[in-house]
Amino acid sequence: MINFDNAATTFPKPLSVRQAVAAAMKKYGGNAGRGGHPLAMRTSEALYSARETVASFFGAQPENTVFTMNCTYALNMAIKGIMNGGGHLIISGMEHNSSARPAAALALKNRLRLSIAEVYPEDERTIDSFRSLIREDTKAVVCTLASNVTGQILPYREIAALCREHGICFIADGAQACGIIDVKLSDGINILCTAGHKGLYGITGTGLLVTDGKYPISPIIQGGTGSSSLSLLQPDILPDSLESGTPNIIGTVSVKAGIDFVKKTGIRRIFAHEDRLCRCFMSGLDGDVRVYREKTAEYVPIVAFNVGDIPSESVAAQLAEKGFCLRAGFHCAALAHASLGTKSGTVRFAPSVFNTEQEVLRLTETIRNMKKI
Amino acid sequence: MHSSCRNGVMVMTVCIAEMPSYTYAVKAERLLRSRGYRCKVVRKDKNSSGGCGFLLHIYGYCLEAAEILERNAVPFKYINDISEGGA
Repeated sequence: MINFDNAATTFPKPLSVRQAVAAAMKKYGGNAGRGGHPLAMRTSEALYSARETVASFFGAQPENTVFTMNCTYALNMAIKGIMNGGGHLIISGMEHNSSARPAAALALKNRLRLSIAEVYPEDERTIDSFRSLIREDTKAVVCTLASNVTGQILPYREIAALCREHGICFIADGAQACGIIDVKLSDGINILCTAGHKGLYGITGTGLLVTDGKYPISPIIQGGTGSSSLSLLQPDILPDSLESGTPNIIGTVSVKAGIDFVKKTGIRRIFAHEDRLCRCFMSGLDGDVRVYREKTAEYVPIVAFNVGDIPSESVAAQLAEKGFCLRAGFHCAALAHASLGTKSGTVRFAPSVFNTEQEVLRLTETIRNMKKI
Repeated sequence: MHSSCRNGVMVMTVCIAEMPSYTYAVKAERLLRSRGYRCKVVRKDKNSSGGCGFLLHIYGYCLEAAEILERNAVPFKYINDISEGGA
């Protein structure tokens, strides 16, 4: 079985992550921040250490680094927590449902006014598209750093600068970018939401919300935090305000180990390797395969494609029979597929640092033969 | 560093800082340790006002420790000198 569905979740995980998880199961059996006994304190220290690693990786402060269940939770917390008092929200036309659905849900309840900025292959046009939608009451912009469908990298630094100029909170979805490109809060991001289990190589059930603290985020979940417990009011300081309930301690340890792996391997090396595999993949396809890439755009290592008129799900099913794992369909990204006009979806090739050129060549050979069936 | 002058006598001082969260307690601990202070994060006594939380035991001059935390925007609820003869 060869996994090319790493944009959904990376697999396999690095040995160092698997070892860290196994060690954490033995060692960190307490509840972080919820006791003074040695087991709880040891576990609390592990959680703080993971927080420090994440913060340093994204150029943030440890207390502004919040562990969540996944990127969707982080985006819901950011969008609902910032748009709490209403106002105007702009999202890109390439957003995953993790942003688009909470935004749409609030808009349908008249809790905010929503605009969708078209994304083009040319960065200038995309920036203009965002600029044209900014209004007096625009409170936040939500923008994916890279599309989970095509891999297109959006001009997020320029969009962030636009937000800063107008005093708008810039919320970034880094799910397909973090660990692949060097994302920092200093890029102009006010709130970065990302998954721990994709390019950061942690285990599933991990996500991150990292903020510069400029825009207070109202919590959407209240509960135990291990602090000020006699008060019925949720603490107003980070990370406690956004981290109610027992955290996924094993998961946070895995994210720390994953980030250490990414740092040790080198983000540029990871990108170069996966990008080379994408180019190898594209060069191995013939004319009947449509690849959804434009010359004017830049991409993270994801290739969206379709094989002739074969429905994307059929292509993925046939490849699965041959042992290849690729995701087909709409990738939880209704807006992106509407923009692309891909009515039966696309197939997504998404390698990880562990894939090889030989595996890619076997895949392209299988796709070429598929059309002869 | 870990002493202060009282009535002309250098004495070891122990301060207790109540921190708003475990995260800030560790952040303060790391910061003060980097400045030569010996300190330790401990759980608040179960009968403490406000409920659960964390304290930082600091062996050193309280006012100076407080200033370091303030300068570095590390919030704390209070810092008290609990050493013998302390305020």
